[in-house]
Amino acid sequence: MKRFLPFLCCLFLLAGCAAPASSAEPEQAQFFSMDTVMSIRVYSGGGLDAIQAARQEIEGLDKLLSRTDPDSQISALNSHAGDGLQVSLDAEVANLLSFAKSVSQLLPGCFDVTIAPVMDAWGFTTQERHIPSADTLSAAMALVDSNGLIVDEQASSARLERAGMEVDLGAVAKGFAAGQADAVLRQQGVTSALLDLGGNVTVIGAKPDGTAWQVAVKDPQNTSEALCVLSLEDQTASTSGGYERYFEENGQIYHHIIDPKTGYPADSGLLSVTVISADHMLADALSTALFVAGPDAALDFWRSREDIELVLCTQDNRVIVTEGLEAGYRPAGEDRGYTYEIARR
Amino acid sequence: MSVSLRRLTRSAVLTALALALSVAEGLAPLTILFPLPGLRLGLANLVTVYALCRLSGREALLILLARCLLGSLLGGNLMALAFSLTGGLLALGVMALLLRLPGLSLFGVSIAGAAAHNTGQILAAMAVLGTPAPLVYLPPLLVCSLVTGAVTGGASILLVHRVPFPGRP
Amino acid sequence: MRSPAADRRRPTLWDGAVALAVVACAVFLVLFLRPAQSSAVTAVITLNGETVAQYRLDQLSQPVTLEVTEADYPLTIRAEQGRICIEHSDCPSQDCVRTGWISRPGQQIICLPNRLVISLSGTDAESFDAVTG
Repeated sequence: MKRFLPFLCCLFLLAGCAAPASSAEPEQAQFFSMDTVMSIRVYSGGGLDAIQAARQEIEGLDKLLSRTDPDSQISALNSHAGDGLQVSLDAEVANLLSFAKSVSQLLPGCFDVTIAPVMDAWGFTTQERHIPSADTLSAAMALVDSNGLIVDEQASSARLERAGMEVDLGAVAKGFAAGQADAVLRQQGVTSALLDLGGNVTVIGAKPDGTAWQVAVKDPQNTSEALCVLSLEDQTASTSGGYERYFEENGQIYHHIIDPKTGYPADSGLLSVTVISADHMLADALSTALFVAGPDAALDFWRSREDIELVLCTQDNRVIVTEGLEAGYRPAGEDRGYTYEIARR
Repeated sequence: MSVSLRRLTRSAVLTALALALSVAEGLAPLTILFPLPGLRLGLANLVTVYALCRLSGREALLILLARCLLGSLLGGNLMALAFSLTGGLLALGVMALLLRLPGLSLFGVSIAGAAAHNTGQILAAMAVLGTPAPLVYLPPLLVCSLVTGAVTGGASILLVHRVPFPGRP
Repeated sequence: MRSPAADRRRPTLWDGAVALAVVACAVFLVLFLRPAQSSAVTAVITLNGETVAQYRLDQLSQPVTLEVTEADYPLTIRAEQGRICIEHSDCPSQDCVRTGWISRPGQQIICLPNRLVISLSGTDAESFDAVTG
């Protein structure tokens, strides 16, 4: 027994200096904001207080940015469309508007922050969804022009040039909110967390065990299945697809991502686009724009810059994954007839 | 050299060997070929078999404990220690028993040892996680232990016969 | 320790018996584990953040229909053994009804106009942490 004593002592000593077991159960909250369901899960650092702070940040932004809330700054901007008044805004709102405009310039014809009248014509915002009459649609299309949105970042104000024009930040607000919430959580000491803002997934740090977060991309044709699974750290994965909000009329499916060139749901050969970037806002905005742009334009755009990676699911059942994701991704839909390819620069 | 010093030295050398083997094994994990949690060749088990055959059960146990403790200091955490200790101890116990039976060769002993090691690991995982979920990995691990056990068994036959009496000058 | 095994150089029939025993254990375990595979799946239905109902889907012996009348747009939820769906909803978008049946932990049905969420949790965790899309 004497011989074993040192070993036993060692065991207890070792047990003493081991890291505290990481709590497997995260602190979490689920809530509705920005017209979608959001959830925040914090795995280490911070805790419920941090989640509350992040939630308040997001709900505060929703109050500023919502087009349906008559007291929001965006509603103020829209209601003064065409009357020449330069509406003063919070600095962050002005920055967001000018960012949204810059995306229109990055991908001309694929993204327009003033698409709202057309969305309304289709009934995607509040009313029953329906095919608009040709007259309604062309009247609405005449109001779409992001050049008519004048933003003065210095004075932190903006105006819309023509009456009837409306701004809708739906395609960038969740990404912006993710960026702000990310900052709040980190300030509160959070080192490992997962934010799901209506399908926009933002991850902070790595999992508590040090490995990367595993984020599945939804199969657009079978939304209960995964298309592929990605390994992410400190990034946002944002997906746009026509499968989530849509309606059927006369046997035809009409989805909610409108092509600003035609005023009709985008038909670019893509079923979904997932953009992965450390820039949360960029990921959100580009997923919509690249869905409209189509697979070839999306890949050309990807080759032109270093800060994004893509997963494209095409109508002919190809899944194109850009090479920056290759190491950490695994396909999950081969049995459903998808073929996977890696896009190179 | 005095008897106890010799014993200490050879235990130390075997411990170092076992450690080196398990580190070497970690460099080229089998799980790359075959993604099954907990799957490994179990080369360090060679040393346990050897110590059981050529030294004594007590020394085999000491070497095993030292290897697990040092191994967790080198790279692992307390969880890994729990896994390797339970697995190692169970394997040691089973092999010590089987070595006393007539009729078996080191192939059978090693296969049983590998199977016992995997069982111990899964039991430890179940205890640590508090759910029976890891049990689903056991059947495939047991099947794999036929192969890994046979490989280490073959190797241990070579070892035991080539190095019959350790530490003799 | 003197051991007969240590002196042998070739495998014996008894080694085969050991291998067979290990395989038998594996087979037994697979058979033993099979009934446990229909693992726990819990559906939690929340309206505006508050839980209105909760079902153990794996233990439902007969279908259950739940009318959520307090929602802005009343809806009907149907739960059967192992799965759940929104059968009918008065909401304008109908996205929730189109989601269809869900059955695996981690899946959700969301009715945005109603702020209603049905989420499934269970012991069989998914192999990923979140879903984008």
